[in-house]
Parts: sequence; C-alpha cells; structure tokens
Amino acid sequence: MSKALGLGLGIIAAIGGFVDIGDLVFNVAAGATFGYQLLWVIVIGLIGIIVYSEMCGRVAAVSGRAVFDAIRERVGFKGAVVALVSSEVVNLMTLAAELGGVAIALQLLSGLPYRWLIAFAVLAFAVVIWVTTFEWIERIFGFGGLCMLVFAVVAVKLGPDWGSVGAGFVPHIAHTNRVLYAYFVVGILGTAMTPYEVYFYSSGGIEDQWSPKDLGLNRANAILGYGLGGTLSFALMITGGALFLTHGIAPEHLGTVALAAEQPLGRLGLLLALVGILFAVGAASIDTVFAGAYNLAQFCGWEWGRYRDPRGAPRFALTWLVLLLLALGILMTGVDPVLLTEYAVLFSVVALPLTYVPILLVANDKAYMGRYVNGRFANVLGLIYLVVIMIVALAAIPLMIWTNVGQN
Amino acid sequence: MSGKEIDIGLHVLDHQLLDKDGRRCGNVDDLAIEGGVGEVPEVVAILCGPGYWGPRAGLVGRLAGWIGGGRKVRVPWIEVRKVDSAVELKRGATELGLGRGDDRLRPYMDKIPGARR
Amino acid sequence: MRTLSSFLHREVVTESGRSLGRCYDLRGELTATTLRVTGLCIGRRALLEHFGIRAQKPQTIVPWEAIVRIEGKRIIVHDDAPAP
Repeated sequence: MSKALGLGLGIIAAIGGFVDIGDLVFNVAAGATFGYQLLWVIVIGLIGIIVYSEMCGRVAAVSGRAVFDAIRERVGFKGAVVALVSSEVVNLMTLAAELGGVAIALQLLSGLPYRWLIAFAVLAFAVVIWVTTFEWIERIFGFGGLCMLVFAVVAVKLGPDWGSVGAGFVPHIAHTNRVLYAYFVVGILGTAMTPYEVYFYSSGGIEDQWSPKDLGLNRANAILGYGLGGTLSFALMITGGALFLTHGIAPEHLGTVALAAEQPLGRLGLLLALVGILFAVGAASIDTVFAGAYNLAQFCGWEWGRYRDPRGAPRFALTWLVLLLLALGILMTGVDPVLLTEYAVLFSVVALPLTYVPILLVANDKAYMGRYVNGRFANVLGLIYLVVIMIVALAAIPLMIWTNVGQN
Repeated sequence: MSGKEIDIGLHVLDHQLLDKDGRRCGNVDDLAIEGGVGEVPEVVAILCGPGYWGPRAGLVGRLAGWIGGGRKVRVPWIEVRKVDSAVELKRGATELGLGRGDDRLRPYMDKIPGARR
Repeated sequence: MRTLSSFLHREVVTESGRSLGRCYDLRGELTATTLRVTGLCIGRRALLEHFGIRAQKPQTIVPWEAIVRIEGKRIIVHDDAPAP
C-alpha cells in the first residue's frame, strides 16, 4: 500500500473516529442553547486530542508501547488497576451510548421498533467484527461516515450570521446562564478528548508496526484526521445554532439532529445525514469496543490485535464479545442513549488525568524515547492541557449535579 | 563481569513477555530474588499469573486474582533472551506454561465459523 | 525466596533509628545471563525517577552490602549508609 493511500485511509478513519455520539449530542445541544458562543471550546479540545494523539503515536513508534503498557509500567500496579477499572467502566458506558445511537439511526431509516434494532445492531457488529478483516471495516465505516460532511453543507446553507460565528471562536464567558455554559465547556472538551481515541490510536500504531520512520505519518494522521473531524464538530454546532436557537427547539432526540439536514436539503439531505450518523457512530462503537479489549489485554499481557482473527487472539476476542453483550444489557434496560451519552462523557472527563498523565510522563522519558522525547513545544502544550484536564475533571461532577445533567 | 545498570522495578517489572516467536504471553507480574543479607542477591525467576499479581493490589487485587484462578507460573531467569521494552524469552510460551488462557480458549473459538481468517 | 514487590514501598531505617525514606526500586546489574541486585533506590527522587522525571541530582542508592536485616515492613541499614 502506498504511503499516500495509507495516509488517506488513516485520515478518513480518523474523521469517522473523531465524530461520535458525544460530539453529536454536545455540539448540537450547545449550539441550540448558546448559538455559536462555544465554538472556541471545540478548537481547544481539538488541539488537545491532536497533541496527545501525536504523543502516544510517537511513544508507540519509538518504544513499541501502547498506552496501557505504559500506564502499568509507570504508575505502578495499583494505580494501573484503578486506571483499568475506571477506563473500562467509562468505555462500557460510551459503547452502550454509541450502540444506542446506531439503533436510533436504524430506527429512523427503517421505522422498525427500537429494541429490536438494538439487538440487531449488537448482533450485526459481533458478526462483522468476527468475520471481517479490520481493513474492510475501516474502509466501509470510513467512507460511510463521510456522509456526515452533509452537515458542513447544511451549516453553510442555513446562512448563519458569519460575524457571530467568527466571534464564537474567541474564548469568552457567557453573560447569562454561566453554570450551564460551564457544563457545556466541560462536555465539549470531554467529547473531543475521549480516552478511547488515544487507546485505539496508539494500539493501531503498534499493530501497523510504526517505527521512527513513520513519525511524519503519525503527525499527519493526527493533525489532518482530527482536524477534519473537528470541522464536522464546528458544522454540527453551527447547524444547532442556526436552526434550533432561532426556532427555540431543544434537540433532545438524536433524530432531531438528522432532521436539521432536511430543512435546507430535502429528503436527500436527511438520508445522507442518517447514513452518516449511522456509520460515524458505528465506527465509534467499533473503536470503543476494541479500546476496551486493548486495555484489558495489554494490562494482562494477552495476545491482542484488531488485525488478528479470533483464533490468533482468543481472550482479546472474548473480551470484545463480552463488552458488546454487556452494552446490550445496559441498553435493554430502556435507558435513554442521549442521557447515557452525557453521563459517559462526564465520567470520562473525571477519568481523563489517569490516561493523559502517563502519556506525558512516558513521552518525556529519555530511557524509552531516546532523541524522540517531547520537545519544548509538545511539553508546554502538554502541560497546559494537563492543567485544563485537571480543572475540568474536578468540575465535571459538581456541574453535572448543579445543572441536573444539562437540563437547566 | 560488568553489566548494564538498570532499575529493576522500572525496566523489568510489569513489562510484556514475548516468547521465541514474538507471541505475547503475559507480563512480568513479580520477580523472585534469591540471596539474603550478606550474600550476593540475584533475580532467579520471573513470576507470572494472578496468584502473583493479586497480592500486589491489596484486597481488591486478591479478590481479582482469586477470580482469575490464582494461577502461578515461574519462569527461570535463565530462559530470558533479552531485556528490552519487552522481556524476550528463549522458548515457546506453551513449553514454559505461559499463555495458557489463550491456548485453552482457542479450540472453542475454532468451533465458531469465521474464527480463522 | 523474596519477591521484588516485597521490597517496594518499604521504609528504610538506619540502625540508630533514622528514617532514610522509602525504597522505590532496586538497582540491578544486567548481564547476558544474570540480573544481580546491587542496591536500593530510596527517597523522593527515586520516586520521581520512577515517573520519568529526572531531578538535577541523581537518586540515592543504598548498596546492598549496607543492609543489616530485613524485618516486617522495614529494611534496616548501617548508620553510614548514604542518605538522600
């Protein structure tokens, strides 16, 4: 496979991987509540995920360590147990939320009952991951997810006031409703920097046998892939702001997000939006379930790999199967996927330092990294983001209680 | 005889074990040290399995270790080929009693169509 | 037989009762066939080192020969052992 093709596929996968149910829920809801005022938060989250993905991709390329290997070696066994348990809990909640999103998209496309579609979706994912090679999964979901680009067209077609869109990119504090504003800041940062993304990204680098030669590819993948994914987040927030804020609608249901595409573009727009959501959230489901299996397998030292068939990595395969079944169980209780998404994002924010601190430590370790240790630029950014992460991690739960999970 | 100075807890403990074919077959969950006060102490074996990592994490760890089957595998240090970012071994995992969980599960996986791609 | 984990986080105390801090790692000498234990890495700098943060001064190593006895949760060393 040529380098350019590899890069292209990597970027497409990253777009699909970046935009998940958390982005759909938080960005559109933030747009509907505060217009374009929170666009700057997406930029901050985006730079954060790029900085840390580049770092853990570099650690993977140079030292051959995935994130959870590094966590266990660095923060000690006990600390790693805490990190493992919390990351698996958050991962499972995220997985259930993503699968719920897939079921909603299927329901809107087919009109069949939601519960049947949950079971169908979980079964379909289990079969697809079991029999299909990851190359094909990546391509199918990557290209399907590109339909999400329809939201960029929608955002432009809705004719937002570009002056206020521009003003939204300047960091500022809202004049009214500051607590809810802070809640959205935490949520948007959390969903942009969701930990499963770095677990998945770094393990992928090891599976692709990255070496220091591939550091350029790593950087391009992180910047372009997440950068383009971030553009979609802008589009979602602008759409939310242009459509729902002016009409005074709160998009409580995921379907409302897709309906946003119908107004300016008609049936075709709606169809593209639903297919895009289906594949983007589907890709995120697969990334999440693999991230959960990676973490456990790396912690225990088992054989793992998305390119390995179930025979080649039996306990890894069993882990993702069990995770899918647990997520099915959670969804069958009838919990609302949108609410589940909000909880998943906020709890993941609380657990963020456990993921990002070890990455920063290892990326600075000369014994592991040799001359590829963090430069001053990466360290300054890394440290700034560490402070940001600590603050939002501490603020997440109080804000969740204070705003009643964003209800007021 | 002079060797390379390393911090054992940092550069060996909790690292990945790879067998002679590069198969991932566990972690260094603990190390056995022989030789007391007044002797020259040496690391004599790699200790592997829930029976060894359980006690390292308090009550929760013991419980998890017990659920995990409490298995203990001892790999003599003489089996180590190289200490790098992973600890590489001279023989195959099955021979050394490592990676048993994967080996036991594989026949069941094989019964489901599509397990081999 | 002792295990590596049984040394970690133990307090290191001199015979006259002065605490030198905790043991965060064991220093070893790795050859092609053996891994010998040569000392205890103690004190806060050893902990920082463990997290990959290098201090200006190197961490304190108490040579293995300085150990008098190992009792319960403490490691007793000679009075003239290097202190951090």
